[in-house]
Amino acid sequence: MNCAGIRDQLSEHALGILSVRDASAVDRHLQWCAACRKEAGDLQRATATLAFSAAPAEPPADLADRVVADVREVAGVRAAPHAPRRTRWATAAVVAGFVALSGLGWGAAMAGRAARFEERADVATRDQRTALEEFRRLVGTVEFSDPQDQVFIGRLAPAQGSGGGGAAMTLVSPSIIDMAIVMVNGVPPERWDTLPFTVHLTSPDGQRLKVGRIASLDSGGAETISQQFNDDLTGFDRVVVLDARGRVVMEGPLATKADVASPSP
Amino acid sequence: MEGLLAGNDDAIRALYGRFGRPVYSLGLRLLGTREAAEELTQDVFVMAWRKAARFDPSRGRLSTWLMTIAHNLAVDRLRRETGVTRPTLVLVDEVPDAPGVDEESLLIERDAAMRALEALTDTERRLIARAYFRGLTAREIAEADGIPLGTVKTRLRAAMIKVRKANAGKELM
Repeated sequence: MNCAGIRDQLSEHALGILSVRDASAVDRHLQWCAACRKEAGDLQRATATLAFSAAPAEPPADLADRVVADVREVAGVRAAPHAPRRTRWATAAVVAGFVALSGLGWGAAMAGRAARFEERADVATRDQRTALEEFRRLVGTVEFSDPQDQVFIGRLAPAQGSGGGGAAMTLVSPSIIDMAIVMVNGVPPERWDTLPFTVHLTSPDGQRLKVGRIASLDSGGAETISQQFNDDLTGFDRVVVLDARGRVVMEGPLATKADVASPSP
Repeated sequence: MEGLLAGNDDAIRALYGRFGRPVYSLGLRLLGTREAAEELTQDVFVMAWRKAARFDPSRGRLSTWLMTIAHNLAVDRLRRETGVTRPTLVLVDEVPDAPGVDEESLLIERDAAMRALEALTDTERRLIARAYFRGLTAREIAEADGIPLGTVKTRLRAAMIKVRKANAGKELM
């Protein structure tokens, strides 16, 4: 999408009412377009102003204690995030590596365009093992900029009575944006009337993050989605794909911690 | 922020002391119950810890950052939970409680918010309220009102530009 198209959506983006897909497209554009980012920042500040128009209400006295306890708990069980600023070049390098090898194509990730047909067809022919191998190959190819970057890979198995399969990969990093890529394929046609699917990352403590929505599948019952997260993906160790009625289509653990080479930036 | 990252009690309490009330108030406004507002407030500060390393003061105010987190989490919850108690659409006739001590910055923020809303027509205020406080998308508003999607988008944009202009050059924190 070009700048005009993005700016057309910035007000809704600032108000938080864009669909996940549109919001992701805007976010990706903002990563590299300074002019739109400035506009978005102005609108975000304006929107935040609205938050203070809510009638002041007094929280219960013990809420402060609960907040402190919650933050201390997550700070205690996980290493504190590291301070280095996330640099655009690093993000771009990782995104480029991810999409180049995941069959999405640079255009799909950076401009929200649909992947080329032949790439989609190619993805559709892969079985889940091939997808898994693809992710493994990807890990060895991307130039990771931070030695503490971690990549998790997993295979998605179909729920009972369902079909198809898939693979998923997450990048968890202290210094670049966290990402997830999920590929599904071989979903049988009889399940297509249960679209759209929603894809989530889940954590053992019950947290859930939406990776995206699969509205349609290609002729091979395949689709690939990717998402960048402002949230820290640390601890999100499972992928669940749900159909439109909330039933599990496929799921699997992100249990494989890939070794990540860390060449100098 | 360094203190927050380290899970330092005093730093968390200082941040809560400054923003706990507006976050809770926003949660109550959006989610409609005290229980939900309390949960939201806890979630917001946990999320703030998770994202603290990414907060860049040169790119935005702390209040903007934190209230955006609060709003996003609240709208996510609104959309996730069907049947959640929806707040009413009243904005400008909500009378603030008598101010307590050490609330000057909050009052200034609220004053800026009210100034922004006063810059809008009644129609624009209702539109912004439906989008911001109820999380309705432009499409949902268009379908509910039976007007073209493009019209809703144009009106939202115009209203947001007015809100922005009302406080232009008056950034506070």
